[in-house]
Amino acid sequence: MWSYALRRVLMTIPTLLLVITVCYLMLHATPGGPFDTERKVSAAVMANLQAKYHLDLPLWQQYLLYLKSLLQGDLGASFRYADWSVNELVGNALPVSLAIGGGALLLSVVIGVALGIIAALRQNSLIDYFVMLVGNLGSAFPSFVIGPVLILLFAIWLSVLPAGGWNDFDPRYMVLPIALLTFINVSTIGRVMRGSLIEVLNSNFIRTARAKGLPLRTIVFRHALKPALMPVVSVLGPLAISSITSAVVTESVFSLPGLGKLIINGASNRDYTLVLGLVVLVTVFAVILNLLVDLAYAYLDPKIRY
Amino acid sequence: MKKTMTISVLAASVALGLGVSGAAFAAKVPAGTPLAAKQEIVRNNGSEAESLDPAIAESVGANNLVRDLFEGLTATDNEGKVVPGVAESWKQKDPTTWVFTLRKNAKWSDGSSVTADDFVYGIRRFLDPKTASTYATTYGTFLLNGVEAAEGKKPVSDVGVKALDKFTLEIKTPYPVAFLPEVVSNGQLGPVPKAAIDKFGKDWVKPGNMVSNGAFVLKEWQVNSKVVLAKNPQYWDNKNVQLTRVTYLPIEDGFADVKMFLSGENDWVYQLPPGTYEKYKAELPKDIRNAPMLGLRYYGLNHKDPVMKDVRVRKALNMVIDRDILATKITADGQVPAYSAIVRGTNGADVTSYDWAKWPMAQRVAEAKKLLAAAGVKPGSKVKFSYNTSEYHKKMAIFAASEWKTKLGLNTELENMEFKVLLKKRHDGDYQIGRNGWVADYNDATTFLTLVQCGSEQNDNFNCNPKAEALIKQGNLAQNPAQRKQLLTQATKLIMDDYPMIPLLQYTVPRLVKSYVGGYTTKNPMDRYRSKDLYIIKH
Repeated sequence: MWSYALRRVLMTIPTLLLVITVCYLMLHATPGGPFDTERKVSAAVMANLQAKYHLDLPLWQQYLLYLKSLLQGDLGASFRYADWSVNELVGNALPVSLAIGGGALLLSVVIGVALGIIAALRQNSLIDYFVMLVGNLGSAFPSFVIGPVLILLFAIWLSVLPAGGWNDFDPRYMVLPIALLTFINVSTIGRVMRGSLIEVLNSNFIRTARAKGLPLRTIVFRHALKPALMPVVSVLGPLAISSITSAVVTESVFSLPGLGKLIINGASNRDYTLVLGLVVLVTVFAVILNLLVDLAYAYLDPKIRY
Repeated sequence: MKKTMTISVLAASVALGLGVSGAAFAAKVPAGTPLAAKQEIVRNNGSEAESLDPAIAESVGANNLVRDLFEGLTATDNEGKVVPGVAESWKQKDPTTWVFTLRKNAKWSDGSSVTADDFVYGIRRFLDPKTASTYATTYGTFLLNGVEAAEGKKPVSDVGVKALDKFTLEIKTPYPVAFLPEVVSNGQLGPVPKAAIDKFGKDWVKPGNMVSNGAFVLKEWQVNSKVVLAKNPQYWDNKNVQLTRVTYLPIEDGFADVKMFLSGENDWVYQLPPGTYEKYKAELPKDIRNAPMLGLRYYGLNHKDPVMKDVRVRKALNMVIDRDILATKITADGQVPAYSAIVRGTNGADVTSYDWAKWPMAQRVAEAKKLLAAAGVKPGSKVKFSYNTSEYHKKMAIFAASEWKTKLGLNTELENMEFKVLLKKRHDGDYQIGRNGWVADYNDATTFLTLVQCGSEQNDNFNCNPKAEALIKQGNLAQNPAQRKQLLTQATKLIMDDYPMIPLLQYTVPRLVKSYVGGYTTKNPMDRYRSKDLYIIKH
């Protein structure tokens, strides 16, 4: 398994290179540059700006320069946030995104799996209908609707929590965004868990276990849960990426200084280095998470061996 | 308008070289106003500052911060009046030479004196091509050899700024610039701390490293979260500064901004989201603030386009848009109809208008139809309108398209795109009719005239009226402010009679500011509020 993991990690290098190259070309092909602003700068000033950021060099030279600094762990200087390097920007935003996205993910796995199990065991009962209702609501209402409702309720009417902002991991500022992301994730995880467990519970080996007279708890936790978790694990990878690196709407609604905000501002301001830096980060993240998912498969399903 | 008069009288007095005495001007708390024990404010700044380096700061938000952290030769107060900053007085020695006398008690936050050399260093650094400031030629144009230095054609040491002694600064302009005292209130032309910049390089603007000379110092800066400033104990006028802590937020989402205001975490909404002004005016009458500012919403007409190069078409398109309905029913946020490239409150030229602006709409439409027919544009013809994706711009665009359709029978193709793409198309002349807007960099007609002058960087219409150009040149050389104003007004009228653009509305700033924030006025045409001029009333 370790050699498999190593191979997968090594595979990241060509993947990253491809992603960077494609993204690099796409960014530079997009009309409008980092210095196109409402107040057009004179040709001479534009030349000053381009020289400062090496944009006056041929594209391939810029590309090689970028790769070189990337190898040294330097993601370059930001265009949009002129006083900061991309490393500093990502360094500041990543902990916020990890706290909000990671916190929400953990919570939603626990709550989603639990609700899914309960709903599956009490299929077509009131509890099941309730879980399905929550699941459908979470999927049907976008976060830009639920978020403001949470703010209205808890920040403006009840005045118990702040309406937004960030204050050095002060839990009060984290409650609502985590609640919002959790609610949305739970709806996915809960529905997947319920469906998958129902399917597993109807399979032959569970019928055998029942026939042997095993108690329900043993059947569910020892025999059914592991195979039923497979689809949940499959959705966890994408969920984690979207919760941590691209919770754009949540960050906007709650004014959080996370990665999503950087991505949007970077892209709309043609901040080439910032966007590329974030793309590198997201790619590495995606590769790691997918690897973890694959390793989890091996743990959950004895048929899978690497 | 009273506001216009007071500002122009002041500008005139400055231009006549009368100078201003160095009395304290800040935070004029009216007698009997009870102040709150806690003098702290949270201001939303609209977006994250791109830089706190005065030479690099470009956006309104970044300049708001720079204005609190640094002080130039002069400053503008909460009514937009030029007041002394580090300079306690100034004199126009001859038409192109100004002498600024610096106060001896102006200090950097590390306790050292602010000297004329700090200004020389700051201005040269700002214009240095290596600094690559986007404002380099905008303000460089007012300094002798400023543009040449910014373009690398002359060394920065040739720029017309000289320390006559430790506390006397001389500035030379390439032509008479009557409003120079206002121009030098901008941070770009202010002092910067050479020692800190030499020591920390690019990181000199970070908390702990920054040395500044304004009413406030930098305490904390979390990107996309907040910038916290504290009162500067070394500031020369520090006894007149009431606020002890100023927190700037970078919230872009207008609805999030309002929610934080309603929940009490924010005292100052940067700008109300479109379509909410009337609602909050009714719900929060004490907190709502709205005043016109020096900004123009307009549609550019690309003169390189075969259809738009005909003045009759441009005039017809102009005539049939009902600005009153646009202002009261479509945007409905207190904006004022505009018929000129220059908006009300601007110094240096009168606002021009068109005769037809007072005609009944039926007469305007009849005339416009005649013009189109003469130009050979038949009903059913197509025009293309480009705008950047935004609900607000879309609403206005649909209104304009419907005016052109119902009144002239023209079909408008609406094309929306990302802002950067629109900018590129506009700058490259790759459009027919394009959404555009402009906010004054300084209070003088020339800032708006750059939009319609021959060969100007800001002229996306690509129009040119050589006669008007000659008048502007003549005006800029005139030493008599009244004569200058008359020439610039005449030039504006000439240009606007060519219909280079479709002026629509004068910007306003509809926002919520807590009623307990003192010092906020609605008489600030540049919408520049130093936190120095604000205070918290007991509530």
